[in-house]
Amino acid sequence: MGQKITIEPVTRIEGHGRVTIHLDDKGEVEQTFFHVDEFRGLEKFCEGRPYYEMPQITQRICGICPISHHLAASKACDAVARVVPTRTAKLLRELIHMGQMVQSHGMHFFYLAAPDLLFGFDSDPATRNVFRIIKENPQLALKAVNLRRFGQQIIEKLGGKRIHANFTVAGGVNAPLTEENRKAIAAELKVMTEIGKEALSIAKGWLEANKETAASFASFPSNYMGLVDLEGGLQLYDGEIRVRGVNGELLAQFKPEYYLSYIAEHVESWSFLKHPYLRMLGWPKGFYRVGPLGRLNVIDKIGTPLAQEEFKLFRQINEGKPVEGSLYYHYARMIELLYCLERIGQLLDDPDIMSNDVRNYPPLEALPGQGVGVIEAPRGTLFHDYGTDENGLLTRVNLIVATGNNNWAMHTAAGSVAKAYVNGNKLTEGMLNRVEAAIRCYDPCLSCATHAIGKMPLVIRLLAADGTELDRISR
Amino acid sequence: MPRTIIVGYGNIDRSDDGVAYGIINLVRQALGQKILEDEDTGLEKLDGEIDSVFLPQLVPDIMELLTGYEQIIFVDAHAGADMEDLNCSKVTPQYVSSTFTHHMTPDVILAFLKTLYQHEPEAYIVSVRAHDFDFKRSFSPKTQSLLRPASDKIIELLKIDLPLVRR
Repeated sequence: MGQKITIEPVTRIEGHGRVTIHLDDKGEVEQTFFHVDEFRGLEKFCEGRPYYEMPQITQRICGICPISHHLAASKACDAVARVVPTRTAKLLRELIHMGQMVQSHGMHFFYLAAPDLLFGFDSDPATRNVFRIIKENPQLALKAVNLRRFGQQIIEKLGGKRIHANFTVAGGVNAPLTEENRKAIAAELKVMTEIGKEALSIAKGWLEANKETAASFASFPSNYMGLVDLEGGLQLYDGEIRVRGVNGELLAQFKPEYYLSYIAEHVESWSFLKHPYLRMLGWPKGFYRVGPLGRLNVIDKIGTPLAQEEFKLFRQINEGKPVEGSLYYHYARMIELLYCLERIGQLLDDPDIMSNDVRNYPPLEALPGQGVGVIEAPRGTLFHDYGTDENGLLTRVNLIVATGNNNWAMHTAAGSVAKAYVNGNKLTEGMLNRVEAAIRCYDPCLSCATHAIGKMPLVIRLLAADGTELDRISR
Repeated sequence: MPRTIIVGYGNIDRSDDGVAYGIINLVRQALGQKILEDEDTGLEKLDGEIDSVFLPQLVPDIMELLTGYEQIIFVDAHAGADMEDLNCSKVTPQYVSSTFTHHMTPDVILAFLKTLYQHEPEAYIVSVRAHDFDFKRSFSPKTQSLLRPASDKIIELLKIDLPLVRR
């Protein structure tokens, strides 16, 4: 008699995400599905709007990483309008991006990931949360809040306001950096870098103490994708897209505007979210991972000293080959956090960042236009692709978001952990948490668009083939 | 009257999900305050005995701001089947962890305030039933009809002398 377990972690409007685990007659895991809702209709919603509105419109679809959409949209607008931003504009765009990365990576680690690492997967869910961190280490909690505030303040100082910044436009940005703001950001950098180092040591310490778990938990071969600079170094704002295969071999490196020659999207009937894959390998062999682990598995180096030293250690984990364990996302994320903090210092020290030359203007004859904008959002590679008519009105919009790029990887991670830990005859909190934790490694953004209250609690249901409920865990 | 902040949150580009924006503006109107324009959040000017903001999500950054108030009224849309169309209830700190989501709920925000800042404001949530979450900037008729009752409920919580309130 086959059985089915359903995890509904964030069911809100129509269910933003849930996991169903199908058991065979012996009560062992047969198959696992991770279902996600997409930004339904967003692309259609944007069609007919002027292209230059996209940096404002798209950041409003997500309250969590609006700057990522703001920047990717602006880069696509640069391409549509055939205008190259000034060097100062690029530096300022990268600076606001670093602010976004710092607050996002910091929040994910301290709020979502650290409780698993500090208290263990089997600890009481009532106390396996950030509040226990506050209780046991209030100084660490305050540091986490400060790190988040620091990132947000960079966004506010550049974007003019904390929420829905109006900063980047086709051809550049609309305001230079003031000396007062440069000094204010620089003044906190040393303290924030120390917090970043402390977070990194927590992640690394846990992984070193739990090597066996780290090596086996949601560990599987895949391809990897991320932006790199011309020397193969880590790039989060600009560069070429590099893809490496399961053994680390270079599969492709291409300019973002050619992404459709390399990436296709596969549709499964059980998920609203498409599954991107590499055309050259076909489906499903061509699925890939993005985000911190994906990025660190494709690059050759990192252009800041502390992060580079840590990257060398990261590379040794699997003797130079790609690191496969999903839990290493946490370590990779903290290496990136350190990089971003160091990179902020580099940007602030660049004399060009204080220039007033912040925008180039598009040529009048540019339209109709086509344009692709790609950045590395905190969760991975983010694609914005627009086409316009001769009046600059959008005729075509295609977005591939980071969580979409990792769709199959999360599905695979959940399946791998379910097979290893779920016993269909009796569910436990630890089992449920491990499945969640596997997905948490990827820091998916399932709640971007809506957030009305009334969401269902987290539920795992164990169902017999006839629909009889055999077991249930809810919180 | 305790110094109060009304915190509405939602996505105004997803129809009823952004209903708090409409409610906040009705309250501001009733209090004789300037209504929020398209890009305003209310964070621009926070110096009154009754302030109000509209945010996309509840995130940790607002905690420091909330320490300056003795009363918080959260305003949201809801989709729960077992709730009244207009819901008003007290909120107390809850120490629960998030599974994946990056935003916080009012009870979690209160728990953070209590634990990190030793601040325990009185708090309520006023929410109305949402019917439509499509990509558009207008409310469904059913939800639209709940705006005024929700605004009245908030004003009731403010315990202001009615003659002072503009309707």
